[in-house]
Amino acid sequence: MKYGMFWGCLIPARELSYEVSVQKVMPAFGVELVKMEDTNCCAPFGIQSLDYTSWLALAARNLCIGEEMGLDIMTLCNDCYESLLMVNTILKAHPEIKKEVNEILAEVGKEYKGKVDVKTMIDVLYDDIGIKKVKDVIKKPLTGLKVATQPGCHLTKPKRIHFGVREFDALDELVKATGAETVSYERREMCCGGPLRGINDELARDVARIKLINMKNVGAQCIVTVCPFCFVEFDLGQLEIRRHFKEEYNLPVLHFAELLRVAMGMKLDDWEIKSHRTPLEPILKGRVKEG
Amino acid sequence: MSLDSNFMHEVANTPRGRGILACIQCGRCSGSCPVARLVADHNPRRLMEMIILGSRDEIIRSQLPWYCLSCFTCLDRCPQGGDVAEVMFAIRNLAVKEKNMPDGFAAQAKNLVETGRVVPSITSIVSKRVEVGLPKEHSTATKDVQKILKKTGLSKIIASKGMVKE
Amino acid sequence: MEQPAVLVVGGGISGIQASLDLASRGFKVYIVEKSPSIGGRMAQLDKTFPTMDCSMCILAPKMIDCSHHPNVQLLTYSEVKEVKGSAGNFKVKVLRKPRYVDETKCTGCGICADNCPSEIPNEFDEGLGMRKAIYMPFPQAVPRAMTIDKDNCIECGLCEKVCEAKAVNLGQEPEEVELKVGAIIVAVGFDLFDPSQISPFGYGRHKDVITSMELERLLCASGPTGGHLIRPSDGKIPKTIAFIQCVGSRDKRLGNAYCSSICCKYSVKDAVLIKEHVPDSRVCIFYIDLRAFGRGFQEFVNRAKTEYGIRFIRSSPGEITYDPVNKDLSLWYEDTVTKKIENLKFDLVVLCPALVPRKDAKDLAKILRVEVDQYGFFRSPGSISNPVDTTVSGIFACGYCLGPKTGDIPDSITQGSATASRAAEVVVGEV
Repeated sequence: MKYGMFWGCLIPARELSYEVSVQKVMPAFGVELVKMEDTNCCAPFGIQSLDYTSWLALAARNLCIGEEMGLDIMTLCNDCYESLLMVNTILKAHPEIKKEVNEILAEVGKEYKGKVDVKTMIDVLYDDIGIKKVKDVIKKPLTGLKVATQPGCHLTKPKRIHFGVREFDALDELVKATGAETVSYERREMCCGGPLRGINDELARDVARIKLINMKNVGAQCIVTVCPFCFVEFDLGQLEIRRHFKEEYNLPVLHFAELLRVAMGMKLDDWEIKSHRTPLEPILKGRVKEG
Repeated sequence: MSLDSNFMHEVANTPRGRGILACIQCGRCSGSCPVARLVADHNPRRLMEMIILGSRDEIIRSQLPWYCLSCFTCLDRCPQGGDVAEVMFAIRNLAVKEKNMPDGFAAQAKNLVETGRVVPSITSIVSKRVEVGLPKEHSTATKDVQKILKKTGLSKIIASKGMVKE
Repeated sequence: MEQPAVLVVGGGISGIQASLDLASRGFKVYIVEKSPSIGGRMAQLDKTFPTMDCSMCILAPKMIDCSHHPNVQLLTYSEVKEVKGSAGNFKVKVLRKPRYVDETKCTGCGICADNCPSEIPNEFDEGLGMRKAIYMPFPQAVPRAMTIDKDNCIECGLCEKVCEAKAVNLGQEPEEVELKVGAIIVAVGFDLFDPSQISPFGYGRHKDVITSMELERLLCASGPTGGHLIRPSDGKIPKTIAFIQCVGSRDKRLGNAYCSSICCKYSVKDAVLIKEHVPDSRVCIFYIDLRAFGRGFQEFVNRAKTEYGIRFIRSSPGEITYDPVNKDLSLWYEDTVTKKIENLKFDLVVLCPALVPRKDAKDLAKILRVEVDQYGFFRSPGSISNPVDTTVSGIFACGYCLGPKTGDIPDSITQGSATASRAAEVVVGEV
């Protein structure tokens, strides 16, 4: 199975362990992540806020590249997913808007035709690969690890606009497939506060705190994310919360790809472990030898 | 403070603002909003109310629509299809057309126009990428981004905020 | 030639009224009812609004009339399987499911149930209490006979052993009966929308978030707690209770864009009942609009506010969360009048769900070849001119199966009488 791999700008700029982990786990399922040449910014939430047509055109340009490759696009970041998926849905449904966008894309030599779909890694694993195959590659089941999942807003909402959006439980099912257990905490679908980073850091921190309290209340030992914003909010966020509120949560944060990598028996390198601000060692101890 | 009785329809006619016509002011959105619990000024129901009443000037100039996380909780829960989160975007788009945008957003826009990236790259991390065997960087197609934003007129607005040369 | 009979499908209050009206005029009536007893939803209620009359006290005499009237034949635990023919001359096949008890011999003494080892959640109590595999749905059931639910029967034979009337017949077979009728009246009523579809309200996750029908059973003396209002989670008496209106109603996302028309009224009734059961409780009703139209309702709302101190908050709450540390339910809402976002703790939360067509109404509509509307309610060809007709001549409908423009009990009774009159026209023929 081949997908055009859309990395976005945040993961390659800040979360290298995520990028490495995805490339290490996906081949085990026979998935080839093909480099998408010359992609641009997906036009996330901050850019969408500025202008509607600019958003459509920027996102559509990436969709065109997928179409030129003849491959569906796989994203990791929830912001990229929301942007590309919504634009894909809007342009497919409204020919008059598609026409307007194509007039702009003509400036850069592209034409949107509506021939590909956009999926996240969770969609690919859950729908295209299937839970059974994920279970088959687990070599070191994470038995006893209590995980609070953070599917993130754009993996699971808005359902009203496009039904391709994933149900919350898919990420939980995938985490369970690694042998870990998921804990049910209040407001799992709530936002991490990430979009406010760089705009109002205190507010972003306070939103994340609400979630951390709920997760801690039910005995979570770690948090599993898929979105780089959620990761920063909880990982770096715990340091900020410690400084400001003097509260400790001790909830290390892992991306699902990293969790899967560990469960598949692979080592996380030293630099990768250190790149997690909230120490990862306590939950990795005894599960995999540090490299 | 004058009221603009046409404001509701102006918003309804924007691509993302159609939901305003469905609002029955039930308050489910504000009861769900994670930011509303922390910031008294940010209240999605109140924003819809202000649009319906026609407080155009106040909204276009205020911080109120800019705290939204676009988490879509309100949109998902609104029983009438009010699409509150979409209306938030519609209001922001209108505000930007009149050159009102908070600094944080302007900074992101500036990055985009100048470098093609919203998140700036850090030299030490670029070196790390090379060290661990990842490609130095992924594409940004900056020139194409600039062409697109010139065609839509957004780069002109960003430039006029005094933050970036066109 | 003998005058054709009338078939009434559904033994709730509107079907019962239609049957009695027809029977007292000399028409022969068959009532086909799916469950073991007639009575319907009204049997589940404690009191009716706004007069606070005991529901069963109004219903039971009518049920007894049905069982005693020489012109009424009850076919309970039965279903309509096929309808052929046309107005004036329908041929209906009815499947009588075996209750494994001879109705003519059973006295309803209940000794069999006392000895039955198999216990399951009682549907009549909305799953809050238990019943046995051999059971009577409620004490005032008509016909007064036990029924064995074969799916949950372990076939131990104890019931047969202890029955003094020798009424148990484990070898009973399903029976197909063919009825010749001139007109058909559909009165199959409603189901409750499943509020677990609105996940932020926590129904199904939190035991103390219940539906209004579950509340009725808790308040009712014939219910699982003998009429004592307790929290399902720990059996304690709740002191703070919230009602949430429009759970699934007026909701375009979920497909029930209509107003269910009776929930504002019954929630005020239930709130008053709660205050009577637990006088020091605090009750809040969270509403979007308070629809208390008709005779006596606005006055009832005013009394609820002034005499009972029930608090009415104009707000559709965002969510209900559970704090596992303090073990309480926390309701987040914005009071749209004070414009403040608040969080109140409650011991018990009652959801007023949308009233929707019964799950099997679609199947019945197919058998009758009548049309349903976009929500699945039986459609009348002209809701102004022929409100109780269906799209098939000779077939009429009454009660909530027609949709929410009806709703409270007097309306259902009125419609029952209206269909009786319409059916009589068909049977007698044009003059």
